[in-house]
Order: sequence, then C-alpha cells, then structure tokens
Amino acid sequence: MTALRPSRAAGLGPMLIVALIAAALYWPLMLAANVGPAGRTLASGAELECRTALACASQLRNPVVPAPAQLAQGFMRLSTPVTSPLALPYNVGVTAGETLLGLLLATVTGIGLALLLVASRAFERATLPWLVASQTVPVVAIAPMLAVLLGQYGVQGFLPKAIIAAYIAFFPIAVGMSRGLRSADPLHLDLMRTYHASSAQTYRLLRFPASLPHLFTALKVAVTSALVGSIVAEISTISFSGLGKMLAENSRASDTVALWVIMGYGAVLGVTLVALVNALERWVTPWSRR
Amino acid sequence: MTYTNPSPQTGPAQPSPPPNEPPIVSIRDLQKIFPVPGGETVALKDANLSIQRGEFISLIGPSGCGKTTLLRLMADLEQPTGGGLLIAGRPADEARRERQYGYVFQAPALMEWRTVLKNVLLPLEVMNVPGDRLARAREMLKLVGLEKFERNYPWQLSGGMQQRVSIARALAFDPPLLFMDEPFGALDEITREHLNLELLRLWRETGKTVIFVTHSIPEAVFLSTRVVVMTARPGRIEGVVDINLPHPRSDDTREDPRFFTLATEIRELLKKGHA
Repeated sequence: MTALRPSRAAGLGPMLIVALIAAALYWPLMLAANVGPAGRTLASGAELECRTALACASQLRNPVVPAPAQLAQGFMRLSTPVTSPLALPYNVGVTAGETLLGLLLATVTGIGLALLLVASRAFERATLPWLVASQTVPVVAIAPMLAVLLGQYGVQGFLPKAIIAAYIAFFPIAVGMSRGLRSADPLHLDLMRTYHASSAQTYRLLRFPASLPHLFTALKVAVTSALVGSIVAEISTISFSGLGKMLAENSRASDTVALWVIMGYGAVLGVTLVALVNALERWVTPWSRR
Repeated sequence: MTYTNPSPQTGPAQPSPPPNEPPIVSIRDLQKIFPVPGGETVALKDANLSIQRGEFISLIGPSGCGKTTLLRLMADLEQPTGGGLLIAGRPADEARRERQYGYVFQAPALMEWRTVLKNVLLPLEVMNVPGDRLARAREMLKLVGLEKFERNYPWQLSGGMQQRVSIARALAFDPPLLFMDEPFGALDEITREHLNLELLRLWRETGKTVIFVTHSIPEAVFLSTRVVVMTARPGRIEGVVDINLPHPRSDDTREDPRFFTLATEIRELLKKGHA
C-alpha cells in the first residue's frame, strides 16, 4: 500500500508529471473513442450543429468519453445546488459516512477478533477457515440478503450499508492486527518477562504499540474495501441516497457524463479517506521516522 | 575469592563484603540441554560458581560456550535441565518475580514508540514503583549522562547512547544484580572503551553486583574482579581468574604489565578448552 501513502512536497513533482501526461493524452483519446459513434449519429441524419465526425466527437449527448467541457457542465449540473439531497456533495457525504462508520465497526470487530486469534490457537483453528470463507462470498450477492435480514429488525437506510462495508473491511484488519500482535520483538518479550510483567501489561505496553504499523497498513486496505462495500451496497439494495444510488440511476438513464462525474467524486473520496488514515497514523505514531 | 587490595595510591577499592555473607549467586552442577533435531546439544555442563555481593564477574568464551545460556538461566529466562541455582538466596524464578536483577541485552532493545525518558520509566510503570518515578528516571539518565536527550526517540541516538539508555533502564528500579549480555558487542572499539570506563564508574557508585558476558579478553580483564573462562562443546567453566588490578581503573590500567599477564592467562585457558 506504499503507493497510496501521499508523501510530502518531494513526492508531489512526479505525481504532477503523471497528471500532465494524462491531461495531454485525454483529448486525443477522447476523440478516438467518440469518433465512431459520432459518425454513426451523423449518418443517421440527426439534427446536429457539427458537420464532420471529428467535430461531433466532442459534442455527443451520451459520449463514450466526455469532452472536458461536457465534464465541466456535468460537474456543475450534478454539484448544484450544493445543499440539495439530489446533488453530489450531499450524496458523497452519505457514502463517506457509511464508509467511515463501516470502517469503525470493522476496526472494533477486527481488533477484537485479532485478540481472540492471538490468545487461542484453538479459536484460530476453529474460526479462521470460516472467516476466509466469509470473504469469498461476493459482496454483491450478500448485500441484498443482509439488507432484507436487517430490515426484518427495523435496521434500514444508512446502517445496513455501513454493516455491509464492515463485512468486507473487518477481514484485512483482523489479519493485519493478529500479525501485528505477534510481531513484538522477542527481546522486548524477554525484557517484560524480567520485569515480571502481567499478560495485560505486556499487551498494553508492548504488543499493542508494536502492532500499530501493521494495523495502519491493514486500515489503508480496509478503508478502500469499505468504500467499495458501501457503494456496492447502495447499488444492490434499495437506496435513496449515496454515490451508488446515483450510479444506478444514471446508468439506467445511460447518462455517461453523469457517470464520469460520479466516478470522479468517488475517486476523490477514496483518496481523501486514505489520506485521512495516513493523517491518523502520523498523529498516533509520532515516533515514526517518516 | 580474591579482592583487590585497597592501596593508597590508587584510591578506594570496591568495599569487600563481610566474610560470612552468603553468596548473591550460587550455582551447583548446573546443566542445560537443548533438544535439537536428531539429538541434543549440551549448552552447559556441570557449572559451579559462587558470586559475592559487589563483585564484577565476566563470563568469557567463544560462541557456543554457554555463557549467554548461563546468564539466561540466572535470569530465569531459561529453565535448567539439571543442578540448581540460587539468586539472592532464592530460586531463580522467585528472584525474577521479586525483581532482583536488571537485564541489559546485546541489542539496546529500546521501545521505538517511547521517548528516552519513557523507556527508562517502563520498568517503574510495570512494577508500579511508588514515589516520584519521573524524578527517578531522570536521575538514572543523568547517571549515564543522557539527561539532555530525554525527549528524543531511540532512533535519534547513536548505538552507544542507546545502550546507555538501556543500562539506565536496567538500573531504574534499583535491583541488587545487573546482568549484561555482551552489551557493547555491537559497538566500535572507541565507544566500547569509553563505555567500559563509564560502566566501572556506575558499578562503583551504585555498588551493584554485575555479571557481564563478553567475548573480548581485554574488556573482561579491564572490567572484572573475576573472569569466568568458558569453553564450548559441551559448554563448561574451564577456570576462574582473579583480576587483582587496583581500582579505580583508567586507561593506564591497560598499560599495566599485570594486565597483559592476566590476558595471557585467560587466553591460555581458552586454548586449553579448544585443544
């Protein structure tokens, strides 16, 4: 996950170069992708303001790849009014909330499981295969079932999505954390033994702090999983808000410009969430050399 | 048991213990066998040793001679497969539970998430030592000359400084015994000689009994009141050499003709075990 760690000023240069290259390639690739559909639209005799396929490539109503101007228009259309529950800012907020709540649930569950896994080999042998199996069930398949199940108990709306996000995010945390709890330096364990430290003291003063690098690596994996989980949950269950609900709506309407804009918001949300985890890591582990 | 004679030219020697005091470490026919695939390794065979309060004992020998095993047995980090040992008059596990010793490892083993001061505070926290722990930890850092670095993290310190922090940490709860397992083995010669002088000063100031594992003959001679020479396969005690060099010792001690005689004596013992 080191690629996701945004480094400070020194790391920004190479990132900007990639951004410039992507921007420079965008226009020709966009034209290449749209010129075929544009030609077919012209041939169908539709009323258009453009004469050639190339000129029409940047003005299609439902382009394969939208032109920058179309993206900008779509962005404005979907982002305003800013406070509207139909606009993207509100819906991004809903998905972000589901993801963060899901991550919180996953962290609590994952750390709890890790403590049990490390404490008891018998527990590990009995449960680990089932934990692995739980992750092989596609989230798209399990989301509607969970939503119905939770609906039976009156849990609706926001919470089922968070729970589905937690369902796929707890696993990397449980694995990373149990690895971390076992990663204490043998010399440190000997040292605690010479102090006649209790098991609780050894966990609190040694095993837990030693596990933090592993925990944060796991959290960076988990937060992106949780985001995928909450979006998939929004798409595959009945939803009235969220990025997934907007994706489902606009894909039914074949509004490709909207889909691209939503995708952009989703990407920014993902990067922001990972940056949040990084900031938390720096705050919690101030001794780190980075 | 020989102790250096106090001589007016060289200043006060380490105070001799009262003659009837029981030994602080008493080892009888101690044996440690490790099972290995297809057999067993005799790490330590029939070790007998008696150490008086206030002594500075070095265990010297090649790798595989059982010197670290002997130290770990005393610290109750390993259990013997034969014989017995008493630490401060108690079985080793009881001595550990009663925190009779501080242990300095080959690596500084500082916790990287704790500042220098908090590393020294660690044993005091674990043991719930009453009183002003912070003042005690600061006093220990001053003793090793690192009071200005209390807010630093371990990685910001040199290897020698880190090992000094680890010594301060081992002394923080004022145990009567100090076990040191090749503490300066990873350091350069210059730092090592400097820390040897500091360690002797600490030993004289605190009156601890030090048991020090090393594979350096000059280091053992320079530091010790007695040197226990060990040889390998099986690990055993080949002989014990009294180091009757005057205290306090300084760089001049290394030029003393007796220093060379004693180093030669130890080297001969080591060779004897090798033959």
